[in-house]
Amino acid sequence: MDNRLRVLRAERRWSQAELAERLGVSRQTVNAIETGKYDPSLPLAFAIAKTFEMKIEDVFNPNGN
Amino acid sequence: MTCSLLYTARDGRNYRVFTWWMTAAMLTFAAATILIDGNFIPTAAGWALTTATAILMVAAMRSYIVFLRNADELLRKVHLEALAFAFGAGLVAMMCYRLCERLGAPKLDVNDGGLVLFIVWIGGQWIGARRYAVAEEQ
Repeated sequence: MDNRLRVLRAERRWSQAELAERLGVSRQTVNAIETGKYDPSLPLAFAIAKTFEMKIEDVFNPNGN
Repeated sequence: MTCSLLYTARDGRNYRVFTWWMTAAMLTFAAATILIDGNFIPTAAGWALTTATAILMVAAMRSYIVFLRNADELLRKVHLEALAFAFGAGLVAMMCYRLCERLGAPKLDVNDGGLVLFIVWIGGQWIGARRYAVAEEQ
């Protein structure tokens, strides 16, 4: 599953650690999602979309790799 | 909340609680084994130590479940995969070694299966942590 996490984070000038703190997860989790090594659970995907004030489908693309 | 690489501050706290309970259980187990084997204590005290060991082990198990339930979801995945890996490896080792014993291999203690399980559990956590290792921030 593709996602735009890195781009959205860069637009807001947030570090991985800062985004992790906002989401209440570890930095490794944010990194693993960004690099496509790990697909987040539905609650975390919604939390990510809410943090960026976007719709979930604008952050994640289920048709990606 | 302070974020480390794989463990959040909450995960670190919960895991430390588990480690303390586990350490207390293992020390009590070791003490009970030495004291009972050497006939250093009366039978009643032996039963008390055995009961204390069981209680501490249950407390350790409960604290691990609390840790898992509250853990960061990637960390939980790493730990659950390590547990599954350890369970499978422990089962394979114990069953296959039974056959090896019938073929002449030296007899092992029942605790040796537990040791395989523990080592593979630790190794599984290490492998999982490496799989999701953080790359340089971009």
